[in-house]
Amino acid sequence: MIAAGLSNLGVLAQIAEFTPLDTPEVQWAALLPLLILAGGGVVLLTVSSLVKAMAAPGVNAAATVLVGLASIIACVPVWQRVQDPERGPFTAVGGVIGIDGFSILATGLIAASVILAALLLDDYLRREDIDGVEMYALLLLSASGGVIMASANDLIVMFLGLEALSIAIYVMAAMHRRRIESQEAGFKYFIVGAFSSAFFLYGIAMVYGATGSTNLVEIATFLANNLLLRNGVLMLGMALLLVGFGFKVSAVPFQGWTPDVYQGAPTPVTAFMASAVKVAAFAGLIRVFYLALGTYSLDWKPAIYALAVLSMIIGATFAVVQTDVKRMMAYSSISHAGFVLVAVQAGTEKGVTAAIFYLTSYVFMVAGSFGVISLVGRRGDAAHSLDDYRGLSRSRPGLALAFTVFLLAQAGVPLTSGFVAKFNVIAAAVDARSFWLALIAMLASVIAAVLYLKIIVAMYLTGDDAEADDSVAGPKVSIPLPAAAAIGIAIVATLAIGVLPGYLFEVAGDAVPVLIALP
Amino acid sequence: MDTVWGDNVAQNIAFYLIAAIMVGAAIKVVTSKNVVHAALYLVAVLIGMAGQFILLGAEFIAATQLLVYVGAIVVLFLFGIMLTRAQVGSDPDVDTTAAQRTTGGFVAFILLVVMGYAIYGTEGLSETKLPEERVQTIAEVSDSIFSTYLVPFEAISVLLLAALIGAIVLARRD
Repeated sequence: MIAAGLSNLGVLAQIAEFTPLDTPEVQWAALLPLLILAGGGVVLLTVSSLVKAMAAPGVNAAATVLVGLASIIACVPVWQRVQDPERGPFTAVGGVIGIDGFSILATGLIAASVILAALLLDDYLRREDIDGVEMYALLLLSASGGVIMASANDLIVMFLGLEALSIAIYVMAAMHRRRIESQEAGFKYFIVGAFSSAFFLYGIAMVYGATGSTNLVEIATFLANNLLLRNGVLMLGMALLLVGFGFKVSAVPFQGWTPDVYQGAPTPVTAFMASAVKVAAFAGLIRVFYLALGTYSLDWKPAIYALAVLSMIIGATFAVVQTDVKRMMAYSSISHAGFVLVAVQAGTEKGVTAAIFYLTSYVFMVAGSFGVISLVGRRGDAAHSLDDYRGLSRSRPGLALAFTVFLLAQAGVPLTSGFVAKFNVIAAAVDARSFWLALIAMLASVIAAVLYLKIIVAMYLTGDDAEADDSVAGPKVSIPLPAAAAIGIAIVATLAIGVLPGYLFEVAGDAVPVLIALP
Repeated sequence: MDTVWGDNVAQNIAFYLIAAIMVGAAIKVVTSKNVVHAALYLVAVLIGMAGQFILLGAEFIAATQLLVYVGAIVVLFLFGIMLTRAQVGSDPDVDTTAAQRTTGGFVAFILLVVMGYAIYGTEGLSETKLPEERVQTIAEVSDSIFSTYLVPFEAISVLLLAALIGAIVLARRD
């Protein structure tokens, strides 16, 4: 009895000895934009499975738009805090999440793509008889994965963000169960995505082996303070990471999946894929290569140089020979990825600013373009050939005009965002003394202009035979209000950035990423 | 190390006992004519493995062994058997051909050589002594989940939720 009492005392003493767990401080306010997106997805799914009223048309889409808006609004105070010279950027939750202008802007852009995609999805889902709230929940979860990826200061966290982003999108791409192309797109994307994840993960392991850490801050510090005599492992790690990112941003030669997946996936999902995934993947790319591996820029620059040249030229030339507008846009997105790579390749602050500017303009251009394509695709999501656009200016002059603006912006015509974006990229390349690359970029934009003009011509000129004009009535496209709102937002953003680029340029300059160690 | 049983008699007796059961079960896995029985013998081997991990003071690995291998992989095996073979029971066709046996035996032999070399051929292992009292590894793992790896842990939950919703959406019929 006494012995038992003693041993009890011993146990009690042992319990008393335990020090409380040293949990990292969670900066809730700074994480709010991310938490709103992830929590919004979970709450939306739960509420709409319990409340019958949520099944009414448009309610889920409206809720998703509100969540996206709330996330953007939550970004504002964090942005102000980060830009405050006395407080500045910082790292949250034990050094694995970096809160700087870059991550906040990326969060805002991803939330904006969520809003645009939700507005486009609303009508699309009803038109195609795809019921359910799952699409919106996956959209929000995918967006939160993208935000995690864009603000990760740790390679493991970045990988998990990438996976959350991708897995949701594989499913969203395959959501249209009656279209075999949609299934195929989801499956292809899944297989290729699994490959790219494996490359990425292997790259993380190699970089960890070479530097002893997965934390970007510690990698950067290690590489700045140590000279690696044999850096084969690090080189291999960098190469594998670049391959992983290359797949996600669809840079040539890792672009093979892009046309099929962009074409097969439901068009609003393609809009989200082209905007949010590119933003998140480029944010991760810039964080890893510009920040953490900045000291080895002489080694990765040639690789990105090659990717940029191939992406721009091959993307633009293949786009011109397509007859399916969705495929054209897929190839043109490859070419756009090449342009952002040109900016990243500069490896300077100016280059990163140009990349941020380009991505911001691109989100609205591409979401708007796919918004128009989604409407013209009509029921069945199949009318995507160039012929389906003939005479659109007659039947739907407003829609044709909107598409024209987006296409001109993608071509880089002055007074649209695309012009300033391309100008900045080329200026950054010239500044970094990559003259040939700048020249190739200009050449590629000329080739791509042919493609955009081809679509515009199809919309405005109704055929070879000028006398037969009246016989071509143009496609009968209905324009629901939410989709019109999405296209309207995209147009306003595209023109506003084009006419007054100064504001965005300032924002992009403030959004250059920085690595801050834990205090 | 005075006796054959070493310092820790109870532990060593338990080791040999479990090892004997594992070897017996492993032999039954490859000789059993009934596929379901073979899978169940495999469960015995894997549970024995978990027991060995517990003897080494690695409870976390033991728990993982149970959850992943016994819980998930064997269930997958059984599902596979259920879905592919109508005949559950003794099946004479399950016997392997001579070529298969030779290949299997060859692979097993190579594995034996490699593992034997790792244990007896190198200096490291025979000299290594395990520390007397192991730290509570489960406590350590849980501590690091809620401190160092807090964000990855939460990010994985988002990832799994997305995968779960996706699986249900894609598997559900119209």
